[in-house]
Amino acid sequence: MPATILVVEDSKTVRALIRAALLADDYLVVEAPGAREALTTLEDTPVDLVITDVNMPDIDGLTFTKTLRARPRERSTPILVLTTEDGEAMKQRGREAGATGWLVKPFHPDQLRDTVRRVLGARA
Amino acid sequence: MKTGAVTIYIGGVYASGQPMVIKTLLGSCIAVCLHDAVGGVGGMNHFMLPWGKADGADAGRFGVHAMDLLIGAVMKAGGDRRRLVAKVFGGANVLDVPGPVVDVPRQNVEFIRTFLKEEEISVVSADVGGRYARHVHFYTHDGRAFVKRVRRVRAEERSRAAPAVKYGEITLFE
Repeated sequence: MPATILVVEDSKTVRALIRAALLADDYLVVEAPGAREALTTLEDTPVDLVITDVNMPDIDGLTFTKTLRARPRERSTPILVLTTEDGEAMKQRGREAGATGWLVKPFHPDQLRDTVRRVLGARA
Repeated sequence: MKTGAVTIYIGGVYASGQPMVIKTLLGSCIAVCLHDAVGGVGGMNHFMLPWGKADGADAGRFGVHAMDLLIGAVMKAGGDRRRLVAKVFGGANVLDVPGPVVDVPRQNVEFIRTFLKEEEISVVSADVGGRYARHVHFYTHDGRAFVKRVRRVRAEERSRAAPAVKYGEITLFE
């Protein structure tokens, strides 16, 4: 059974790039254009990994991460933050929010797949 | 209040919630100016698709990256993505070089039109194509843009190479 990955990203174009990178490794990819939609998706779709942007309308990625950590089902689900934010302070906030990893854009598809493999492997 | 000024080059991205004028000089490259009128926030990028692989995934990534960075920078400066409108400049055929190189300006223009449509960002004005380079001045607080077409681009501007795409750092927390 391939792992299911939820991609939360407001840019349709960037979502398509992430999806293309992940589909090459046969993951099941579900997408949400924002945290609110992602929370709705998670109601009936359990996922193995979450990849989220930070700067999004409505709810930012760090608040979203904290929200997931407070939910029983996603308390230990790996969350990778994929963002243009490259500052140490932001990264630290990500860590405090409960993120598993911090990836600065632009991403190379191979690097993204390697990181996903490592994170899912560590969990298995 | 005196308006500050900043000049950006290929690969550059700048956004501000303070009144600033952002300047750039474009040949076949594209500059996109994004503005949020309610927030008084604006920003500009300047990107160029790789000459050799303009039809490949690398090219799209470069443009996507530049747009992603710009949208992120505008949001960080206080803009709301849902209110953004775009002005698009550049994509001129300034080099009289035969062969596939001449397709780059057209591909640049096609890329950005498709991107902005997909991302549902309205283009309120565009001045693209043609044979002349362009000086662009963009005012971040009110979204005004001024374009001056120039026949000749100084050699150093034309030859300023696009920086290689640098991939971001990956950190896994303990």
